Amino acid sequence: LVELGINFDHIWQKTLTVLHPLKVADGSIMNETDLAGPMVFCLAFGATLLLAGKIQFGYVYGISAIGCLGMFCLLNLMSMTGVSFGCVASVLGYCLLPMILLSTFAVVFSLQGMMGIILAAGIIGWCSFSASKIFISALAMEGQQLLVAYPCALLYGVFALISVF
Amino acid sequence: PVSSLAVAYGTSLASQGRDIVDRNIDRLVPVGRLKYYFAVDTVYVGRKLGLLVFPFMHQDWQVRYQQDAPVAPRFDVNAPDLYIPVMAFITYVLVAGLALGTQNRFSPDSLGLQASSALAWLIVEVLAILLSLYLVTVNTDLTTIDLIAFSGYKYVGMIVGLVSGLLFGKTGYYVVLGWCCISIFVFMIKTLRLKILSEAAAEGVLVRGAKNQLRMYLTMAIAAVQPLFMYWLTYHLIR
Repeated sequence: LVELGINFDHIWQKTLTVLHPLKVADGSIMNETDLAGPMVFCLAFGATLLLAGKIQFGYVYGISAIGCLGMFCLLNLMSMTGVSFGCVASVLGYCLLPMILLSTFAVVFSLQGMMGIILAAGIIGWCSFSASKIFISALAMEGQQLLVAYPCALLYGVFALISVF
Repeated sequence: PVSSLAVAYGTSLASQGRDIVDRNIDRLVPVGRLKYYFAVDTVYVGRKLGLLVFPFMHQDWQVRYQQDAPVAPRFDVNAPDLYIPVMAFITYVLVAGLALGTQNRFSPDSLGLQASSALAWLIVEVLAILLSLYLVTVNTDLTTIDLIAFSGYKYVGMIVGLVSGLLFGKTGYYVVLGWCCISIFVFMIKTLRLKILSEAAAEGVLVRGAKNQLRMYLTMAIAAVQPLFMYWLTYHLIR
Protein backbone atom coordinates (compact mmCIF):
# COMPACT_ATOMS: atom_id res chain seq x y z
CA LEU A 1 0.00 0.00 0.00
CA VAL A 2 2.88 2.36 0.74
CA GLU A 3 4.10 1.85 -2.82
CA LEU A 4 0.74 2.92 -4.17
CA GLY A 5 1.10 6.11 -2.18
CA ILE A 6 -1.95 5.53 0.01
CA ASN A 7 -1.08 6.75 3.45
CA PHE A 8 -3.86 5.77 5.84
CA ASP A 9 -2.74 8.08 8.60
CA HIS A 10 -3.00 11.18 6.38
CA ILE A 11 -6.35 10.09 5.00
CA TRP A 12 -7.68 9.70 8.52
CA GLN A 13 -6.30 13.09 9.56
CA LYS A 14 -7.93 14.84 6.62
CA THR A 15 -11.24 13.09 7.28
CA LEU A 16 -11.15 14.27 10.89
CA THR A 17 -10.51 17.82 9.74
CA VAL A 18 -13.63 17.69 7.61
CA LEU A 19 -15.71 16.16 10.38
CA HIS A 20 -14.83 18.82 12.97
CA PRO A 21 -15.78 22.06 11.26
CA LEU A 22 -14.82 24.20 14.22
CA LYS A 23 -11.32 22.85 14.64
CA VAL A 24 -8.59 24.98 13.12
CA ALA A 25 -7.01 23.29 10.08
CA ASP A 26 -3.31 22.70 9.64
CA GLY A 27 -1.94 24.23 6.45
CA SER A 28 0.55 21.52 5.69
CA ILE A 29 -1.81 18.56 5.40
CA MET A 30 -2.58 19.44 1.82
CA ASN A 31 0.97 19.19 0.67
CA GLU A 32 0.64 15.75 -0.81
CA THR A 33 -2.45 15.56 -2.95
CA ASP A 34 -3.97 12.13 -2.77
CA LEU A 35 -6.99 11.20 -4.76
CA ALA A 36 -7.65 7.86 -3.09
CA GLY A 37 -9.81 9.25 -0.28
CA PRO A 38 -11.96 11.45 -2.53
CA MET A 39 -12.40 8.58 -4.97
CA VAL A 40 -13.78 6.42 -2.14
CA PHE A 41 -16.14 9.20 -1.06
CA CYS A 42 -17.42 9.78 -4.60
CA LEU A 43 -18.10 6.08 -5.04
CA ALA A 44 -19.89 5.97 -1.68
CA PHE A 45 -22.01 8.96 -2.73
CA GLY A 46 -22.90 7.27 -6.00
CA ALA A 47 -23.75 4.08 -4.11
CA THR A 48 -26.12 5.83 -1.71
CA LEU A 49 -27.77 7.60 -4.66
CA LEU A 50 -28.21 4.21 -6.31
CA LEU A 51 -29.82 2.86 -3.13
CA ALA A 52 -32.30 5.73 -3.30
CA GLY A 53 -33.15 4.78 -6.85
CA LYS A 54 -31.54 7.65 -8.72
CA ILE A 55 -29.27 6.40 -11.49
CA GLN A 56 -27.61 9.69 -12.36
CA PHE A 57 -23.89 8.96 -12.35
CA GLY A 58 -23.42 11.03 -15.50
CA TYR A 59 -24.66 14.19 -13.81
CA VAL A 60 -22.49 13.60 -10.74
CA TYR A 61 -19.33 13.17 -12.80
CA GLY A 62 -20.11 16.08 -15.10
CA ILE A 63 -20.95 18.49 -12.33
CA SER A 64 -17.96 17.53 -10.22
CA ALA A 65 -15.63 17.95 -13.19
CA ILE A 66 -17.00 21.38 -14.11
CA GLY A 67 -17.10 22.43 -10.46
CA CYS A 68 -13.50 21.39 -9.84
CA LEU A 69 -12.35 23.22 -12.95
CA GLY A 70 -14.22 26.36 -11.93
CA MET A 71 -12.84 26.31 -8.37
CA PHE A 72 -9.35 25.72 -9.77
CA CYS A 73 -9.54 28.81 -11.99
CA LEU A 74 -11.09 30.94 -9.24
CA LEU A 75 -8.54 29.94 -6.57
CA ASN A 76 -5.66 30.52 -8.94
CA LEU A 77 -6.95 34.02 -9.64
CA MET A 78 -7.73 34.86 -6.03
CA SER A 79 -4.70 33.60 -4.17
CA MET A 80 -1.15 34.88 -4.13
CA THR A 81 0.36 31.43 -4.63
CA GLY A 82 -1.26 29.16 -7.18
CA VAL A 83 -2.84 25.78 -6.61
CA SER A 84 -2.59 22.58 -8.55
CA PHE A 85 -5.67 20.91 -9.93
CA GLY A 86 -5.03 17.76 -7.89
CA CYS A 87 -5.12 19.74 -4.65
CA VAL A 88 -8.47 21.33 -5.53
CA ALA A 89 -9.99 18.00 -6.55
CA SER A 90 -8.68 16.34 -3.40
CA VAL A 91 -10.10 18.96 -1.02
CA LEU A 92 -13.47 19.09 -2.75
CA GLY A 93 -13.65 15.30 -2.70
CA TYR A 94 -12.90 15.09 1.02
CA CYS A 95 -15.54 17.64 1.89
CA LEU A 96 -18.13 15.56 0.05
CA LEU A 97 -18.29 13.35 3.16
CA PRO A 98 -21.23 15.13 4.88
CA MET A 99 -23.14 15.01 1.57
CA ILE A 100 -23.01 11.20 1.85
CA LEU A 101 -24.87 11.56 5.16
CA LEU A 102 -27.54 13.59 3.37
CA SER A 103 -28.05 11.07 0.60
CA THR A 104 -28.19 8.21 3.13
CA PHE A 105 -31.03 10.09 4.82
CA ALA A 106 -32.70 10.47 1.43
CA VAL A 107 -32.76 6.68 1.09
CA VAL A 108 -34.89 6.23 4.18
CA PHE A 109 -36.91 9.44 4.52
CA SER A 110 -38.06 11.73 1.75
CA LEU A 111 -36.36 15.10 1.90
CA GLN A 112 -38.93 17.19 0.13
CA GLY A 113 -40.46 18.86 3.13
CA MET A 114 -39.40 21.73 5.36
CA MET A 115 -37.30 19.36 7.52
CA GLY A 116 -35.48 18.15 4.42
CA ILE A 117 -34.73 21.66 3.19
CA ILE A 118 -33.35 22.72 6.57
CA LEU A 119 -31.24 19.56 6.78
CA ALA A 120 -29.92 20.05 3.25
CA ALA A 121 -29.07 23.68 3.93
CA GLY A 122 -27.22 22.69 7.11
CA ILE A 123 -25.22 20.00 5.34
CA ILE A 124 -24.32 22.34 2.47
CA GLY A 125 -23.14 24.90 5.00
CA TRP A 126 -21.04 22.29 6.79
CA CYS A 127 -19.40 21.06 3.56
CA SER A 128 -18.57 24.51 2.22
CA PHE A 129 -17.38 25.76 5.59
CA SER A 130 -14.85 22.97 5.99
CA ALA A 131 -13.76 23.17 2.33
CA SER A 132 -13.14 26.91 2.61
CA LYS A 133 -11.35 26.41 5.92
CA ILE A 134 -8.90 23.96 4.35
CA PHE A 135 -8.36 26.15 1.28
CA ILE A 136 -7.72 29.23 3.39
CA SER A 137 -5.18 27.55 5.62
CA ALA A 138 -3.42 25.82 2.74
CA LEU A 139 -3.19 28.95 0.57
CA ALA A 140 -2.78 31.59 3.27
CA MET A 141 -5.61 33.84 2.10
CA GLU A 142 -6.89 36.16 4.81
CA GLY A 143 -10.28 37.75 4.93
CA GLN A 144 -11.63 35.66 2.07
CA GLN A 145 -13.18 32.67 3.78
CA LEU A 146 -16.78 33.60 2.95
CA LEU A 147 -15.76 34.40 -0.61
CA VAL A 148 -14.27 30.92 -1.05
CA ALA A 149 -17.18 29.28 0.79
CA TYR A 150 -19.81 30.77 -1.56
CA PRO A 151 -18.73 28.96 -4.77
CA CYS A 152 -18.24 25.76 -2.74
CA ALA A 153 -21.79 26.18 -1.43
CA LEU A 154 -23.07 26.58 -5.00
CA LEU A 155 -21.31 23.36 -6.03
CA TYR A 156 -22.48 21.34 -3.05
CA GLY A 157 -25.94 22.84 -3.51
CA VAL A 158 -26.13 21.23 -6.93
CA PHE A 159 -25.13 17.89 -5.39
CA ALA A 160 -27.82 18.34 -2.73
CA LEU A 161 -30.35 19.08 -5.48
CA ILE A 162 -29.48 15.75 -7.05
CA SER A 163 -29.92 13.98 -3.71
CA VAL A 164 -33.21 15.62 -2.86
CA PHE A 165 -35.01 15.59 -6.21
CA PRO B 1 9.64 -3.57 -18.51
CA VAL B 2 7.46 -2.33 -21.36
CA SER B 3 4.64 -1.18 -19.09
CA SER B 4 6.91 1.00 -16.95
CA LEU B 5 8.30 2.52 -20.15
CA ALA B 6 4.78 3.28 -21.30
CA VAL B 7 3.93 4.88 -17.95
CA ALA B 8 7.04 7.06 -18.09
CA TYR B 9 6.20 8.13 -21.64
CA GLY B 10 2.64 8.91 -20.65
CA THR B 11 3.64 11.13 -17.74
CA SER B 12 6.19 12.97 -19.86
CA LEU B 13 3.51 13.62 -22.50
CA ALA B 14 1.17 14.94 -19.82
CA SER B 15 3.75 17.34 -18.42
CA GLN B 16 4.64 18.50 -21.94
CA GLY B 17 0.99 19.19 -22.62
CA ARG B 18 0.69 21.19 -19.42
CA ASP B 19 3.78 23.24 -20.36
CA ILE B 20 2.26 24.10 -23.72
CA VAL B 21 -1.03 25.17 -22.08
CA ASP B 22 0.84 27.29 -19.52
CA ARG B 23 2.87 29.04 -22.16
CA ASN B 24 -0.06 29.77 -24.43
CA ILE B 25 -2.64 30.71 -21.84
CA ASP B 26 -0.98 34.10 -21.47
CA ARG B 27 -1.72 34.89 -25.09
CA LEU B 28 -5.45 34.25 -24.83
CA VAL B 29 -6.23 35.41 -21.30
CA PRO B 30 -4.20 38.14 -19.59
CA VAL B 31 -3.85 36.34 -16.29
CA GLY B 32 -1.90 39.11 -14.58
CA ARG B 33 -4.55 41.72 -15.30
CA LEU B 34 -7.34 39.35 -14.29
CA LYS B 35 -5.71 38.77 -10.91
CA TYR B 36 -6.18 42.45 -10.11
CA TYR B 37 -9.93 42.10 -10.48
CA PHE B 38 -10.10 39.14 -8.11
CA ALA B 39 -8.07 40.68 -5.29
CA VAL B 40 -11.11 41.16 -3.12
CA ASP B 41 -12.01 40.38 0.43
CA THR B 42 -15.27 39.85 2.29
CA VAL B 43 -15.59 43.40 3.58
CA TYR B 44 -15.27 44.82 0.06
CA VAL B 45 -17.86 42.41 -1.32
CA GLY B 46 -20.28 43.28 1.46
CA ARG B 47 -19.89 47.01 0.89
CA LYS B 48 -20.15 46.71 -2.88
CA LEU B 49 -23.33 44.66 -2.67
CA GLY B 50 -24.77 47.28 -0.35
CA LEU B 51 -23.81 49.97 -2.86
CA LEU B 52 -25.47 48.08 -5.68
CA VAL B 53 -28.84 48.01 -3.97
CA PHE B 54 -28.59 51.37 -2.22
CA PRO B 55 -26.27 53.79 -4.00
CA PHE B 56 -28.01 56.94 -2.86
CA MET B 57 -26.01 57.83 0.25
CA HIS B 58 -22.50 57.29 -1.09
CA GLN B 59 -20.66 60.54 -1.68
CA ASP B 60 -17.27 59.88 -3.14
CA TRP B 61 -17.23 57.77 -6.30
CA GLN B 62 -13.67 58.45 -7.41
CA VAL B 63 -11.33 55.48 -7.66
CA ARG B 64 -8.18 55.97 -5.65
CA TYR B 65 -4.91 55.73 -7.55
CA GLN B 66 -1.49 54.78 -6.34
CA GLN B 67 1.42 55.81 -8.53
CA ASP B 68 -0.52 55.76 -11.78
CA ALA B 69 -2.14 52.40 -11.24
CA PRO B 70 -5.60 52.01 -9.71
CA VAL B 71 -5.68 50.55 -6.24
CA ALA B 72 -6.79 46.94 -5.85
CA PRO B 73 -10.48 46.39 -5.04
CA ARG B 74 -9.55 45.27 -1.54
CA PHE B 75 -8.66 48.81 -0.58
CA ASP B 76 -11.17 50.90 -2.47
CA VAL B 77 -14.87 50.20 -2.65
CA ASN B 78 -15.22 52.16 -5.92
CA ALA B 79 -12.90 49.95 -7.93
CA PRO B 80 -14.56 47.44 -10.28
CA ASP B 81 -14.00 43.74 -9.65
CA LEU B 82 -14.86 40.53 -11.46
CA TYR B 83 -15.69 38.28 -8.50
CA ILE B 84 -19.18 39.71 -7.96
CA PRO B 85 -20.21 39.62 -11.66
CA VAL B 86 -18.95 36.05 -12.15
CA MET B 87 -20.62 34.74 -8.99
CA ALA B 88 -23.80 36.68 -9.78
CA PHE B 89 -23.95 35.20 -13.28
CA ILE B 90 -23.58 31.63 -12.01
CA THR B 91 -26.10 32.24 -9.23
CA TYR B 92 -28.51 33.74 -11.78
CA VAL B 93 -28.31 30.60 -13.93
CA LEU B 94 -28.91 28.38 -10.87
CA VAL B 95 -31.79 30.50 -9.55
CA ALA B 96 -33.31 30.48 -13.05
CA GLY B 97 -33.10 26.69 -12.96
CA LEU B 98 -34.77 26.69 -9.55
CA ALA B 99 -37.54 28.98 -10.80
CA LEU B 100 -38.15 26.74 -13.79
CA GLY B 101 -38.11 23.73 -11.49
CA THR B 102 -40.85 25.09 -9.25
CA GLN B 103 -42.99 25.61 -12.34
CA ASN B 104 -42.20 22.11 -13.62
CA ARG B 105 -40.61 23.52 -16.72
CA PHE B 106 -37.14 22.34 -15.76
CA SER B 107 -34.84 20.28 -17.90
CA PRO B 108 -31.03 20.41 -18.09
CA ASP B 109 -31.30 21.71 -21.64
CA SER B 110 -33.27 24.76 -20.56
CA LEU B 111 -30.57 25.53 -18.00
CA GLY B 112 -27.97 25.53 -20.75
CA LEU B 113 -30.28 27.68 -22.86
CA GLN B 114 -30.66 30.28 -20.10
CA ALA B 115 -26.93 30.38 -19.50
CA SER B 116 -25.98 30.77 -23.14
CA SER B 117 -28.61 33.39 -23.89
CA ALA B 118 -27.56 35.50 -20.89
CA LEU B 119 -23.93 35.19 -21.95
CA ALA B 120 -24.79 36.15 -25.53
CA TRP B 121 -26.67 39.29 -24.39
CA LEU B 122 -23.72 40.24 -22.19
CA ILE B 123 -21.34 40.00 -25.13
CA VAL B 124 -23.69 42.02 -27.35
CA GLU B 125 -23.99 44.72 -24.71
CA VAL B 126 -20.25 45.01 -24.13
CA LEU B 127 -19.59 45.17 -27.89
CA ALA B 128 -22.24 47.85 -28.33
CA ILE B 129 -20.74 49.96 -25.55
CA LEU B 130 -17.25 49.55 -26.99
CA LEU B 131 -18.50 50.58 -30.42
CA SER B 132 -20.27 53.66 -29.14
CA LEU B 133 -17.27 54.68 -27.06
CA TYR B 134 -15.12 54.38 -30.16
CA LEU B 135 -17.54 56.39 -32.28
CA VAL B 136 -17.78 59.22 -29.77
CA THR B 137 -13.94 59.27 -29.53
CA VAL B 138 -13.84 59.43 -25.81
CA ASN B 139 -10.48 59.28 -24.07
CA THR B 140 -11.13 57.07 -21.13
CA ASP B 141 -9.15 54.45 -19.32
CA LEU B 142 -12.05 52.03 -19.37
CA THR B 143 -10.75 48.66 -20.46
CA THR B 144 -12.88 45.87 -21.90
CA ILE B 145 -12.64 43.98 -18.62
CA ASP B 146 -13.96 47.06 -16.76
CA LEU B 147 -16.96 47.11 -19.09
CA ILE B 148 -17.58 43.40 -18.54
CA ALA B 149 -17.46 44.02 -14.79
CA PHE B 150 -19.91 46.94 -14.98
CA SER B 151 -22.29 45.01 -17.22
CA GLY B 152 -22.16 42.09 -14.83
CA TYR B 153 -23.29 44.09 -11.81
CA LYS B 154 -26.90 44.05 -12.93
CA TYR B 155 -27.10 40.31 -12.31
CA VAL B 156 -27.13 41.03 -8.58
CA GLY B 157 -30.36 43.02 -8.95
CA MET B 158 -31.83 40.31 -11.17
CA ILE B 159 -31.12 37.63 -8.56
CA VAL B 160 -32.70 39.66 -5.77
CA GLY B 161 -35.76 40.29 -7.96
CA LEU B 162 -36.05 36.61 -8.93
CA VAL B 163 -35.74 35.40 -5.33
CA SER B 164 -38.39 37.80 -4.10
CA GLY B 165 -40.57 36.78 -7.03
CA LEU B 166 -40.21 33.14 -5.99
CA LEU B 167 -41.01 33.94 -2.37
CA PHE B 168 -43.68 36.62 -2.70
CA GLY B 169 -45.23 36.17 -6.13
CA LYS B 170 -45.66 38.67 -8.89
CA THR B 171 -46.11 41.80 -6.77
CA GLY B 172 -42.94 41.07 -4.81
CA TYR B 173 -41.07 40.56 -8.06
CA TYR B 174 -42.21 43.83 -9.62
CA VAL B 175 -41.61 45.93 -6.52
CA VAL B 176 -38.13 44.58 -5.85
CA LEU B 177 -37.14 44.60 -9.53
CA GLY B 178 -38.28 48.21 -9.86
CA TRP B 179 -36.18 49.22 -6.87
CA CYS B 180 -33.13 47.36 -8.23
CA CYS B 181 -33.59 48.94 -11.66
CA ILE B 182 -33.55 52.41 -10.14
CA SER B 183 -30.50 51.65 -8.02
CA ILE B 184 -28.49 50.14 -10.86
CA PHE B 185 -29.38 53.16 -13.03
CA VAL B 186 -28.09 55.57 -10.38
CA PHE B 187 -25.03 53.41 -9.72
CA MET B 188 -24.07 53.28 -13.40
CA ILE B 189 -24.56 57.00 -13.93
CA LYS B 190 -22.46 57.93 -10.93
CA THR B 191 -19.69 55.51 -11.81
CA LEU B 192 -19.55 56.18 -15.54
CA ARG B 193 -19.85 59.93 -15.14
CA LEU B 194 -16.37 60.10 -13.71
CA LYS B 195 -14.90 57.97 -16.43
CA ILE B 196 -16.57 59.24 -19.58
CA LEU B 197 -17.32 62.90 -19.03
CA SER B 198 -14.56 65.46 -18.96
CA GLU B 199 -13.05 66.72 -15.73
CA ALA B 200 -15.05 69.89 -15.41
CA ALA B 201 -18.38 68.30 -16.04
CA ALA B 202 -17.65 65.52 -13.58
CA GLU B 203 -17.26 68.04 -10.82
CA GLY B 204 -20.73 69.33 -11.36
CA VAL B 205 -19.99 72.43 -13.37
CA LEU B 206 -22.30 72.52 -16.36
CA VAL B 207 -20.09 72.67 -19.40
CA ARG B 208 -21.94 73.48 -22.58
CA GLY B 209 -20.61 72.09 -25.76
CA ALA B 210 -21.65 69.47 -28.23
CA LYS B 211 -19.00 67.02 -27.16
CA ASN B 212 -20.00 66.99 -23.54
CA GLN B 213 -23.66 66.70 -24.31
CA LEU B 214 -22.97 63.73 -26.52
CA ARG B 215 -20.99 62.10 -23.75
CA MET B 216 -23.76 62.72 -21.27
CA TYR B 217 -26.31 61.15 -23.62
CA LEU B 218 -24.01 58.16 -24.01
CA THR B 219 -23.71 57.72 -20.24
CA MET B 220 -27.46 57.93 -19.81
CA ALA B 221 -28.02 55.47 -22.65
CA ILE B 222 -25.65 52.94 -21.14
CA ALA B 223 -27.27 53.30 -17.75
CA ALA B 224 -30.80 53.10 -19.18
CA VAL B 225 -30.06 49.91 -21.07
CA GLN B 226 -29.33 48.05 -17.82
CA PRO B 227 -32.88 48.03 -16.39
CA LEU B 228 -34.16 46.99 -19.81
CA PHE B 229 -31.91 43.96 -19.80
CA MET B 230 -32.81 43.18 -16.22
CA TYR B 231 -36.49 43.01 -17.10
CA TRP B 232 -35.91 41.19 -20.41
CA LEU B 233 -33.86 38.41 -18.89
CA THR B 234 -36.14 37.68 -15.95
CA TYR B 235 -39.78 38.26 -16.79
CA HIS B 236 -40.28 34.92 -18.52
CA LEU B 237 -39.15 33.12 -15.37
CA ILE B 238 -41.91 34.46 -13.14
CA ARG B 239 -45.41 33.24 -13.86
